[in-house]
Amino acid sequence: MVRFKNRYVLCEVVAEEPRGRHCIEDRAVGTAVRDAIARAYGDYGLACCSVSFTVKYLNAYTGTVLLRCRKDFHRLLCSALPLVRQLESRGLRCPCFLSTLHVGGTIRSCQKFLIQHNRRQLLTLLQNCTNEEERQRIRQSVLSCSLTEGQSQSGDEEEEDDTETD
Amino acid sequence: MAGFADLNVPQGPDKKGLQSLLEAAARLGYSAVALNHVIDFKEKKQEIAKPVSPSELFPSLPIVQGTSKQLKVLTRLTLVVSDPSHCNLLRSTSSNIRLYDIIAVFPKTEKLFHIACTTLDVDLVCINVTEKLPFYFRRPPVNMAIDRGIYFELLYTPAIKDSTMRRYTISNAISLMQICKGKNIVISSAAERPLELRGPYDVANLGLLFGLSESEAKAAVSTNCRATILHGETRKSACGVVYTVKKLRKVEEEETLPACKKAKTQA
Repeated sequence: MVRFKNRYVLCEVVAEEPRGRHCIEDRAVGTAVRDAIARAYGDYGLACCSVSFTVKYLNAYTGTVLLRCRKDFHRLLCSALPLVRQLESRGLRCPCFLSTLHVGGTIRSCQKFLIQHNRRQLLTLLQNCTNEEERQRIRQSVLSCSLTEGQSQSGDEEEEDDTETD
Repeated sequence: MAGFADLNVPQGPDKKGLQSLLEAAARLGYSAVALNHVIDFKEKKQEIAKPVSPSELFPSLPIVQGTSKQLKVLTRLTLVVSDPSHCNLLRSTSSNIRLYDIIAVFPKTEKLFHIACTTLDVDLVCINVTEKLPFYFRRPPVNMAIDRGIYFELLYTPAIKDSTMRRYTISNAISLMQICKGKNIVISSAAERPLELRGPYDVANLGLLFGLSESEAKAAVSTNCRATILHGETRKSACGVVYTVKKLRKVEEEETLPACKKAKTQA
């Protein structure tokens, strides 16, 4: 079968200061990862990984990044990801690190994982809330976003909430 | 599957920094963390203090993401030895050393490496990653260490920070791999700030850089760490053997243990 096989690496950008979130954009992340590969593997590594390397999806609010590379070179990419130390964009430098969440062969598998992961995050977020008012506000904000597939709720809620489909 | 553990978190005097480090580790998915005290004998003689119990330092331990258990915090002592007389401290029955969960030794010369692998009662042998090794590894002491259940520790934070350190780390790690074939390796951070920590899958991928195979690299972060912790526990608790022999004759004689070896279990 003549088909190019890719690997999609799902990572999360973890930064300490909240203002670092503004630095996260796809070109900045791409350059940072390429830099790290160049430092670890040199010209050969950089050339191999750039064959089909792109940042497919980026979410600045949660810090989720989806990278794509060829299946043969995904080891190079994965082992160079821990070496990323900072993101630079528009003159701003933000120290952070990337933590791999999932490596998948298709975007759909990564999306499934991301949905499960976000559900678990929502659970911990709701558990850490101290008063009922914050919980209500979180639930409102989750309910008010509308996707075509609908967004299911976490199992932590007491009352029955219908999923919102729009 | 054994949970992931990070066995080297330097314990500084800053409590808030440590707290943020522990929270970052719990968020990344580590189930156990060991707070490390480094004792260097080159300076003047220091007293080995009793380990501070983690429950006193941190009233509430963060919950590991992905499970519902709390982060397990252990205490660890690292001795930097450059002289054989420093090892006497380990052989003495000083009670303060016994209270640490994990004991590690950092040998600086070949003779000390041999002694550490063959006779010393430790759990971990640290491998220097910040400078070129002054000695080559030889097969006999390494094989003896593997038989005794001692693990070799590699740090990865210098590799993240600096390019020359990275070269030394990789070259030292690969020379160790060639002798021990990837068995009994533990990879840990020596992270002083939360930004220097990396998640367990990332650390396993770094192990690929060091020459480990994929399964060995994953084991280096999970199974081997758990084995080290268990090794430390057995070293703490087991001191002797109780040997009872069932006598088929009268019942009264079974009351007293035969005077072979009595168990000295320490609290």
